[in-house]
Amino acid sequence: MCRVLTSIQLDELRAAVGADGLITAQNQLQTYECDGLTNFRVMPSAVVLPRTTEAVQAVVRVCARHKIPFVSRGAGTGLSGGALPAEGCVVISLARMDRILEVDFANRLVVVEPGVINAHVTQRVTPRGYFYAPDPSSQSVCTIGGNVAENAGGAHCLKYGFTVTHVLALEVVLPSGELVQFGSRALDTPGYDLAGVFVGSEGTLGVTTKITLRIVKRPEVVQTLLAAFASPHAAGQTVSDIIAAGMLPSALEIMDALAIQAAEAAVHAHYPVCGGLLLVELDGSASEVEALMRQVRELCGSNGASEIRVAQSEQERALVWKGRKAAFASMGRISPNYIVQDGVIPRTALPRVLTEIESMATGSGLRVANVFHAGDGNLHPLVLYDRSIPGQEEAALDLSYRILRLCVDSGGSITGEHGVGKEKQEALGYMFTEPDLATMQLVRCAFDPENISNPDKVFPRPRLCGDRPGPYVPHPLESAGIAEIF
Amino acid sequence: MSSPTAWTLEQGTAQIALIVGEEHVRVRGESVVCGPADIAQIAQILRFANASGLAVTASGSGTKLGWGNPVAANIRLSMERMNTLREHAWQDMTCTVEAGSTWAAMQAELARHGQMVALDPLWPERATVGGIVAVNDSGALRLRYGGLRDLIIGMTVVLADGTIAKTGGKVVKNVAGYDLHKLMTGSFGTLGVIAEVHFRLHPLERHSRTWTAVAPHPSLFDAPLRALLDSQITPSSVQLRVSQRQSALDVRIAGLPHCMDGVAARLESILNPLELSESTESPWQARQELVDREGAIVLKVSSISSEICTVLSELRQWADDDGMNYEAVAQATGLMMIAIRSAPRAAAALVERLRARLRVCDGSVVALQIPEALREKLDVWGNAADTLTLMREIKRRFDHNRILNPGRFVGNI
Repeated sequence: MCRVLTSIQLDELRAAVGADGLITAQNQLQTYECDGLTNFRVMPSAVVLPRTTEAVQAVVRVCARHKIPFVSRGAGTGLSGGALPAEGCVVISLARMDRILEVDFANRLVVVEPGVINAHVTQRVTPRGYFYAPDPSSQSVCTIGGNVAENAGGAHCLKYGFTVTHVLALEVVLPSGELVQFGSRALDTPGYDLAGVFVGSEGTLGVTTKITLRIVKRPEVVQTLLAAFASPHAAGQTVSDIIAAGMLPSALEIMDALAIQAAEAAVHAHYPVCGGLLLVELDGSASEVEALMRQVRELCGSNGASEIRVAQSEQERALVWKGRKAAFASMGRISPNYIVQDGVIPRTALPRVLTEIESMATGSGLRVANVFHAGDGNLHPLVLYDRSIPGQEEAALDLSYRILRLCVDSGGSITGEHGVGKEKQEALGYMFTEPDLATMQLVRCAFDPENISNPDKVFPRPRLCGDRPGPYVPHPLESAGIAEIF
Repeated sequence: MSSPTAWTLEQGTAQIALIVGEEHVRVRGESVVCGPADIAQIAQILRFANASGLAVTASGSGTKLGWGNPVAANIRLSMERMNTLREHAWQDMTCTVEAGSTWAAMQAELARHGQMVALDPLWPERATVGGIVAVNDSGALRLRYGGLRDLIIGMTVVLADGTIAKTGGKVVKNVAGYDLHKLMTGSFGTLGVIAEVHFRLHPLERHSRTWTAVAPHPSLFDAPLRALLDSQITPSSVQLRVSQRQSALDVRIAGLPHCMDGVAARLESILNPLELSESTESPWQARQELVDREGAIVLKVSSISSEICTVLSELRQWADDDGMNYEAVAQATGLMMIAIRSAPRAAAALVERLRARLRVCDGSVVALQIPEALREKLDVWGNAADTLTLMREIKRRFDHNRILNPGRFVGNI
């Protein structure tokens, strides 16, 4: 049932954000009815576009007073429905809070508003040789506020860590409207690590309005190697050997034949034709990278690599990454429809899990393309299907869900970087027991006793038992070629 | 906790003996000390304590029991029997360890496959995993590898009501559900008893070298330290050792052996005009030696890194003015340990002065070790943050009857 806000409530919201900061027209509200997981859509009752922390606070106070649910939103690139509006909610779009407030090179940090685009942080600090490490592939459009909500990762988090590794402090508007500071520029603020628990809470604990982030000095040298193997298994064995040799590359990625085929069709990355492609990126001092790269080449050779190349220029390196980052979006070239998953497994389970996925796919009469962050076991199986064939979508949904269960059964997780959101609520109940979930709820209730901050997300809902992850529908930004999904 | 009704040591001892066996229960002073064998026994003991309103402190070897506000525990859960490294998935670079394992025992096992939890806490031979996590201890390696927040990937905890809860998991990359382990880390045992911890691991630093520069005053390190932290060199550790007599800067770098001479040359050029000499590993014991000083007040001070040298210079001036003895070991992360020896009143005044100074740059001062004579004169935690109301609410939800380390934490949580 769609909730209609009263004129008094709308007046209060207008007073909080100004007339140009309130959207209520149906055609405009439609823009906000989904995020990157476009098969779930709910029309919000209103959208507000605050420009200041005070305005966010005023909006949340209105919501708290009237017990109106609210959902905060950055660029809406999330892939799990985390920014999907709740029934009758107010969407708080932080797009207008997009200022980089401070850059402090002496302490290697920046202070930003939540609507700042991820890549803009790096752009701002590049002239002094720094970068912001978390690099979700939507980084050209996704916002830091959304990254904080999802604890976003990216290919380079193997070495540099996730968003939470880089968050020093947060200014947060609690669901009551109270403004608080979590953490500080200095480490180990006495008290509970509230910044730590807030990052990755998917908008369910409040709205962040200011974020203090670490920045990292760009290494002297970055080198990217491509190695072609007969199968993803051989590529996976090489990854294990690299790790066993005591190396910590900045990225370790694998693509299988289907994924290579799709990426080639889309961006012509000049990948070798093979059954399993391994991408290894090393960074550090020139002498160290050179020595380690020699070792990586040897390991690739001993595992039967048919071709080994190192990108010879920044342009070549960029092309290698372009192909990898376009892997999801390019699935449209080889299949009319597909479902994106984000399960994680212990790296050592890789050969067994890949074999099982293959056999499950064969059993379902479907194809599965595999693209994964091999270094940290984060799989992105893409279940390919054709909706126009009766029964195939159901089979694809079923297969996709069984793959998630396989990840959990293998000692892994249902999500490595996309979040639980709306999509995987039920799967969270498969991964955690009731007491685990009840303990998480203690935190939720301490922050948000009225359950108004992004309600009905993350946690399983009994009435939605049987929820299945949805088929992948390209986000409008992706279709327009503005963003890539990873 | 005030005396609970119907509590006698004899009754408590008998009740707990039924859970853990008589041989694992003893009375020490006004407390029952018991050693659970597994998580289920912890849960049973906590259910009993919660129903009876008995204060519980979990401890390993007790190295840091004096940190925080004092607690009169009715029951002391000794975690020493739960000391096993349950799993070392070395190819996945993760491990699962029981909270009562000493840090050194765990590291020795992990080293068999050339791996480590990349953290160098105090008293590693005695301190246990659970205690280190509960106080969020960290040492010089934090500069390169981060703190426990970055190294812990999951945990099993037992709540005050006996609920056994898992958080996170055994894989490094995981965003499913809330990261309760982050809330538990550094919570001083006020939210639950940490039973097992899952860590992500790093390769051991097989080749590392340490260089030291000495100067008469900490201010002389200000510019070189800034230059080092702004460079592309990635040291494992950088620390300043400061006392009335002299100051030293230590830099440890790990890497491939044949690359080290090149690194040394670059380091010299960056730290110019300081004169570097290669030293042994001994400078990295400085933090440990400082906290082991008998009778000193030991402070954990946190500053932004750009202010380290200024703060240390001011501290030196204040100590000189007041005729105080002090020593400091500061990490480049901005975390410092400072030991002070002086008359109680002057020491208390210095702590307040430091707090006012650090507040300006978002820092903090916690009095970790306090001689008994000073306990009543000194606020251990300093001013509570604006999040105190929320922290109290979290505590209330997790531990309604306030049985877990009541009063020990910030704001008497």
